[in-house]
Amino acid sequence: MRTDQPESCRDWRLLLGAYALDGLGGEERARLEAHLDGCPGCRAEARALGAVAQLLPLADPERFSRPAPRPSPQLGEQIAAAIGGERRAGQRRRRWSGLGLAGAAAVAAALLAIFVLTGDGGGDPVQHVEFASLPAGVRIDATLEPHAYGTEIRMYVKGVRSGTLCRVYLRGARGSRLPAGTFRYRWGDDSTAVLSSALDLSRTRAIEVRAGNQTFVAPVDPTGSTASGDTDQEDAA
Amino acid sequence: MQPGALRRERDVREAYAAHAGELYGFALRSLGDAGLAEEAVQETFVRAWRAGDRFDPQIGSLRTWLFAILRNVVIDLGRARAARPSVAESGIEPSVEPLEQALLSWQVEEAMRRIGEDHRRVLVETHYRGRPYAEVAAELGVPEGTVKSRVYYGLRALRVVLEEMGYED
Repeated sequence: MRTDQPESCRDWRLLLGAYALDGLGGEERARLEAHLDGCPGCRAEARALGAVAQLLPLADPERFSRPAPRPSPQLGEQIAAAIGGERRAGQRRRRWSGLGLAGAAAVAAALLAIFVLTGDGGGDPVQHVEFASLPAGVRIDATLEPHAYGTEIRMYVKGVRSGTLCRVYLRGARGSRLPAGTFRYRWGDDSTAVLSSALDLSRTRAIEVRAGNQTFVAPVDPTGSTASGDTDQEDAA
Repeated sequence: MQPGALRRERDVREAYAAHAGELYGFALRSLGDAGLAEEAVQETFVRAWRAGDRFDPQIGSLRTWLFAILRNVVIDLGRARAARPSVAESGIEPSVEPLEQALLSWQVEEAMRRIGEDHRRVLVETHYRGRPYAEVAAELGVPEGTVKSRVYYGLRALRVVLEEMGYED
């Protein structure tokens, strides 16, 4: 029950907000200040609220009366796309730096020679291949990018057992098959494995992924349009 | 979150979900243009991604780190915009305050949005509109002492929210 004359610190403190905002009458203010003189706890609380009260003039009530503005719903996806581009560029830089300066120079010279003689096939578009008809919870997709040396493959696998060895191949016409490399899927890893194969993208008809004892195959459109089709699931070789 | 934890795209997505609204609010408050504000938020997350290995939660929170990056982005965008006229959208005027004060002003406004309606209302009526406590009490149909206690609890709530946002005396 409140009384006109506060008796406890709790009662006195209920006046501290109005005190901090200079909203108490002279007599009430004088009584409160007399209490504060002898009460370190209430003095500390008064100081803390006074610091907040000093900030209030910084805020414009017209602004905070409106709902908080929100970015457009597309912004998150735009940022994800921008960061995906950064990541891919970084992977390319790391791969080249891994070759060593001399090695990179030698390979660059070799590729330049190949380009001069044959062109690098750079007019071919990057293809995104989605593996459809996968077991529940499994997701596999790949991006294939043509290069003078063959095809760069960026693999994204999710949902298979952690630690599963994944082997990737590109299939050409007439049943040929060239390896693109291996990687292990790790649970919680959201990264993309970067692989490469000597088979030209223009000659690639399908991509094959062996994840443990399961084999998944997705068609690759030789005309260069983005491929997405039923996945053939085959028994282990 | 562990040191260097902004290494995966998923970490950035989670950071975006947690902090993009606030970052955008401050960017819009400072730049006064929705398109520029989105550009600032995007650039902030891209820079955070590039420097993700350097993030250390022992030094400060992820939120504080992102705001530090955004502050630099806003300065850069502000310099770039200085050469061309700005166009305010939706009645939101670009801030002309120094950036630190703009950040604090935005924090106080955001904190005012987050406290309870009862507390916000008595603070608006008594402090911003300068109305007597007795008049506000009569309008709300409560004792004057209740208005005073709501002002007290409102300021306390405001302090808690500001501290959560990184404010220190």
